Amino acid sequence: MTIDRWIEFAKGPLFAVTFMVMVLGLGRQVLLQFYFLGVKKGRRLRNVHWKQVARETSSWVVPVRHMEPGTGLFSVASYLMHVGVLLVPLFLVDHIALWNAFLGLHLPAIGEGTADALTLLTISCAILLLVMRLLRSRHRLVSRPADYLLLMAVLLPFLSGYLASHPSVNPCPWNVMMLTHLLSAELLFVLMPFTKLAHVVLFFFDRISVVHWQLRPGAGDRVAEALYRKEVGAR
Amino acid sequence: METQTIAAKRDEIATPARRAFPYHVLEKPGDNLVDRFLEAFAWVLEYTDYKPLLDSYCRSTAKCNRCAVACPILLASGDPRDIPCYRTNLLLDTYRRYFTMGGWVKARFTTPFELTEELLYEMGDVFYRCTVCRRCTRSCPLGFDHGLITRLGRYLLSLVGIVPKALQVSVQEQLEGETHNTSKVSRAGLLDVLSFLSEEMEESLGVKLDFPTDETDRDYVFFCAVSDYLMEPDTLMGNAAVLYAAGDWDRWTIGLCNYDGINYGLFYSDWHLEQIIKRLVAEVDRLKGRSVLIGECGHASRAAHDFIPTFMGQRAPPVRNFMEYTLDCLRAGKISLDPDVVTERVTYHDPCNLARSGWIVDQPREILRSFCRDYVDMTPKGADNYCCGGGGGLVSIDELHDFRMEIAGKVKAEQIARTGADIVVAPCANCKKQLKELVEHYEIPCTVVGLHDLVLRAIEIPGGKSPVERRAEAALFAI
Repeated sequence: MTIDRWIEFAKGPLFAVTFMVMVLGLGRQVLLQFYFLGVKKGRRLRNVHWKQVARETSSWVVPVRHMEPGTGLFSVASYLMHVGVLLVPLFLVDHIALWNAFLGLHLPAIGEGTADALTLLTISCAILLLVMRLLRSRHRLVSRPADYLLLMAVLLPFLSGYLASHPSVNPCPWNVMMLTHLLSAELLFVLMPFTKLAHVVLFFFDRISVVHWQLRPGAGDRVAEALYRKEVGAR
Repeated sequence: METQTIAAKRDEIATPARRAFPYHVLEKPGDNLVDRFLEAFAWVLEYTDYKPLLDSYCRSTAKCNRCAVACPILLASGDPRDIPCYRTNLLLDTYRRYFTMGGWVKARFTTPFELTEELLYEMGDVFYRCTVCRRCTRSCPLGFDHGLITRLGRYLLSLVGIVPKALQVSVQEQLEGETHNTSKVSRAGLLDVLSFLSEEMEESLGVKLDFPTDETDRDYVFFCAVSDYLMEPDTLMGNAAVLYAAGDWDRWTIGLCNYDGINYGLFYSDWHLEQIIKRLVAEVDRLKGRSVLIGECGHASRAAHDFIPTFMGQRAPPVRNFMEYTLDCLRAGKISLDPDVVTERVTYHDPCNLARSGWIVDQPREILRSFCRDYVDMTPKGADNYCCGGGGGLVSIDELHDFRMEIAGKVKAEQIARTGADIVVAPCANCKKQLKELVEHYEIPCTVVGLHDLVLRAIEIPGGKSPVERRAEAALFAI
């Protein structure tokens, strides 16, 4: 197959499949969490101050009040990267046609200049985050290779997309870059439910730790009984 | 590959030299520690609700390291083991490897992460270097509750016998001992203390009051940290003074079968937490009390306030902290506080168990501002406060004294010194003990008191001596 036909394939069936993997995978995570909340916690959910949870969660949309000394550069870079990662794939003119074709969505477009600026911002922020993760010893200690690789996986579709749409800076043929762009974006779709990128939906469930403090009555008894019974049996 | 890398990093950290707990445990951990830990973990996953939490955290842990600037212990120690995310991932990696499909698959194709005795010893150490203040949770963009994970880690360790002796002995006495309380205060001892307090109040306040004990059908059944009966008479007299001045003397009682609000289960064990809560509610039921009134104790307040509804469901009596009650009385004009008595500079320490959730932040400040002429706040304060360094049960573990002074409480000590306050108000038995030791250790010229110690100085007692009169008498006594 020629590269152009690969592009067609990546834009068509591959896109549909990988997108479905993402939707179903993330959907599964969400359903499991809802199942857990509804079935297992049940009535104890009433003890939770949901307004406070919502207030605290929404305060992270513009997290100015969460800035602390020592977190400035990291927080700003991370925040701006997230803005780009959310806005550009959804609202870039070229993407809107894709959403329309597959999902029938008519999303508003952002201007090309804005999209370019956001893309460049995302790329530079991702590189900055990568460098910070590499250079700071405390950061390195808690990092696994996946933490570096995923950041690069996020960086790749933005970089290739920018180069593909700006021939003057693109060192490769357009179709090679375009294919890279499509495949790397689709890789992200597939990775999303199975890696920490799942925080796109789990964010909301991670933030409800107050629910998890609603321990299950009688559970401690049952654990003790299970361990104790075995001990007695062994004797 | 990746687990190997992080395991290698940990090997560097968990050197054999560290193979000793910094606290006493009742029994030496026996053989097959790893297997027993994993078995306990499996039963906990089977019967409790922690699995979805661990699933979610395992999947989305971003390791952004923002928590590293929030932890006062890490700020003081600089020890990477104190990074909240590092500590949490000790447990998450164990869960991922032994209890998830992904971990199982990965173990087939790569050199897997292995839980070793060394790592368990490491957990035994780092989980008790954390004061479970949960300040890091507020700076985590994903809202990871590292305190909850630390507590779960402690719970699992306790199931294989790794638990500080200081906590275990207290809890055993509370649940199975003769006195049924953590400080071994017998019923006769309690009555002696109450009669002593009664005499003290008659002398200092000028009114004769007998403490109501075992009265039934009262609005409030009072519980404080039982150690307060031995160590904090002024706090208790302050509580009593408010109840008397507000005209509520006939509305409260102290139960004689259970008068200890302390619940160390909050720090390390679901089973103990629930048993102690049930005992507390049983006492309220026995006395046909209508609500629970908790004295000045952070963790006792949170344990009762948050976990009575959890474990008792619809049978849960309402729970109030004494400061909420005092503020209501003040707002309703039932008590008045003389603004001319406390002239020293006063600051307020937020106990984490009261303030982190935003439950009690403004109430004590409103009380203090109403009668303290020179009130200053610490920075940061409220829900973002720094822990005193003795939270999570650490203050009860004498072997950790040096750690609490040199590391855990260092940031707090600096914070207190910066305020230039003469009086630090800490409405929590744990915080008070830690802060008293801290100001002595760092030679900060201030005293640490409970909020009601100050209220006792300023409250107008109907039919008794005025606050100014009492101050003059106290000054005379001091000479």
